[in-house]
Amino acid sequence: MSVNDPFTEGLELGWKVTDGASLTENQTIEADVVVIGTGAGGGTSAEILARAGLSVILVEEGGLYHQKDFKMNELTAYASLYQDGMSRVTQDGAIAILQGRCVGGSTTVNWTSSFRTPDETLNYWANQLGMGDLTPDAMAPWFDGREQRHNIEPWAVDPNTNNDVLRQGCEQLGYAWQIIPRNVKGCWNLGYCGVGCPTNAKQGALTTTIPGALANDTTLIHRLRADRLVMNQDRIDHLLASAMSADGVSPSGVTVTLKARHFVVAASAIGSPGLLLRSDIPDPFNRIGKRSFLHPVNATTAIMPEKVEPYYGAPQSIYSDEFNFKEGVDGPAGFKLEVPPLHPAMSAGVIPHHGQKQIDAMTNLPWTQSTLALVRDGFHPDSPGGNVSLRGDGSPVLDYPISDYLWTGLRKAFGIMAELQFAAGARKVSFVHMDSDWYSSWAEASAALDKLPMEAHRVRLFTAHQMGGCGMGRHPENSVVSSFGEHHHVSNLSVHDASIFPTSIGANPQLSVYALAARNSSRLASKLTG
Amino acid sequence: MTQPSSCPDTPTDVAKLDRRSFLKTGLGGTLFLGAVSTTMTLTGCASSPSERLPAVGTRMDARYQFRFLTDTDIEIFEALLPAILGPSLPEQPQSRRLIIAHTIERMDAGITQFGPANQSELRRLLDLLGFSLTRITIARVWSSWPDVTTGEAEAFLQRWQNSSIGLFNNGYMALVKISNVAFYGHQDQWHLSGYPGPPQWAVEALPQFKNA
Repeated sequence: MSVNDPFTEGLELGWKVTDGASLTENQTIEADVVVIGTGAGGGTSAEILARAGLSVILVEEGGLYHQKDFKMNELTAYASLYQDGMSRVTQDGAIAILQGRCVGGSTTVNWTSSFRTPDETLNYWANQLGMGDLTPDAMAPWFDGREQRHNIEPWAVDPNTNNDVLRQGCEQLGYAWQIIPRNVKGCWNLGYCGVGCPTNAKQGALTTTIPGALANDTTLIHRLRADRLVMNQDRIDHLLASAMSADGVSPSGVTVTLKARHFVVAASAIGSPGLLLRSDIPDPFNRIGKRSFLHPVNATTAIMPEKVEPYYGAPQSIYSDEFNFKEGVDGPAGFKLEVPPLHPAMSAGVIPHHGQKQIDAMTNLPWTQSTLALVRDGFHPDSPGGNVSLRGDGSPVLDYPISDYLWTGLRKAFGIMAELQFAAGARKVSFVHMDSDWYSSWAEASAALDKLPMEAHRVRLFTAHQMGGCGMGRHPENSVVSSFGEHHHVSNLSVHDASIFPTSIGANPQLSVYALAARNSSRLASKLTG
Repeated sequence: MTQPSSCPDTPTDVAKLDRRSFLKTGLGGTLFLGAVSTTMTLTGCASSPSERLPAVGTRMDARYQFRFLTDTDIEIFEALLPAILGPSLPEQPQSRRLIIAHTIERMDAGITQFGPANQSELRRLLDLLGFSLTRITIARVWSSWPDVTTGEAEAFLQRWQNSSIGLFNNGYMALVKISNVAFYGHQDQWHLSGYPGPPQWAVEALPQFKNA
């Protein structure tokens, strides 16, 4: 095994890492802080708290996978590293949810795009939502710090063709474009970020903050599902957790009781509200699970005259914010333009056809370019987001109705993306929509788009960015936690993940989570050690 | 375990339900799907994973152990895959059978990671298709699955794809998505999309591929 794999080295050095599936007896363990979730928020929190001298237990429902497991294979990666084996969807099935379920959370499988929270978003939170402590100036040092910790820099290598088509289209049409900052160190430019970085170049939680925590006083227990926070009077007394079996899906029957002075929930915008709802955490204004946001994503595909090989090279290196805030932060739905990598399983699952139409789309994969739009949700009264609730078995599910406001933004994004692809020389373009054909000119595509129904299921929609559901704010009437992630009613409970965002971000959220978790964990550490 | 032969084909509890009453349930249609599954269980027709042998090459030690798909589910996909995959399947009967069998095994392996909630959603969908009353009244597939022609399978897929009812569109996407991913996503079919696989130089340089 490579000498560069921090997990292999650390395990040899005696890091305290336990596979829940190996537990055979119920047990009780204790630490200063229990952190639930090991993604962008949980990893950051654990490292900062542990470095401050606190003992930490990190709990992760998914398994521990690291370099030895990352073999650039889609089918095994989707089954092992993603929520519900990549089958997670919103309640009515209309939006496919891409979300990590492994040590490192979504940072283990994301495409490494690392944006600061846009100034427009922070100013909206400060001016409209009363969080004056989160202005761009106030947050700048936290972004600086996290950019260093995760080695975030604009990608210095030439973009792959898939990304360069977006750049060319923007150049042709006079739209703004920029280079994406990525959290990588010594990246081989392979293109397999989404199935677990095979070279440890990706500086996600798995290779940075979790090793940092484990090198201090932290215990990691993976394949352990947080079931319920149990209160005693007005404080949380302990967490009840279920060990999973070796299959990673079903509980083994062994339970673990975790006691601590403080509990940090960082189980994602679906998992965190789910845990709080299961725990009957005081919620007098019924705010838990409300205002969940997704950056709903739609996409177009283009056949280019030259080979694109969209499966190779840094998956995301060019973006355009031309349409993100153009009509005002709270105007018609804005969107950020990026490209997705295309490997065969992902492509086959995204293209909504069968038979000859599916074959026609698949056989052109080496010449296929795809563009996607991340629609900025949550800034307008007609974009109130979705709602996380519990199924009968206690698992969380997200209901996300798509409002006309969002459909208008999605339709506009379809048009702009097709226009960009034709401007970059596309031979033909198709909307990722059940009723779309291939169109050979912008005029033809535009005319067809006017007639395409903007309806759930017919438009294929995705999300890789789950946000909100435990929103932060000044008043308990309309929020769950403060802008420091402190629960309004339970003094030893904090939430340190994307669930505290009161709107969507308007950019890939990983750096926003890192920065806010770092800020809030530093404050928590000084409180607990003070 | 195979289904007991006394298992009624149309449990009386749900026999009175027809397509109209299904549609009336609207978004609550899943309630109906739940009723099918519950009735199947109560009448002793609970589905258990198939114990069937692989279609081809029945070396016992190479046998795939199904963990989710039942005999009926497998018949459904054997009928649907020729329409879903179309000319991507080889004509030659032996290799065609083999590829269909392996694709269904991979689907089963993938479904085991879906988790209980999504598995039960899929179970409802497959029970609806597998239970002859609902197969006929809701999916409008008249023949039992082993007798369904590729043309009939194609017509069924088109009905659900083009339906104005979101539940059917959703069912269509669920069926084609798991089929397409298991088929085109596997190394044996990469040539169909022209995907060359991970760069060979990286495979040769990386430690996790050594001793494989």
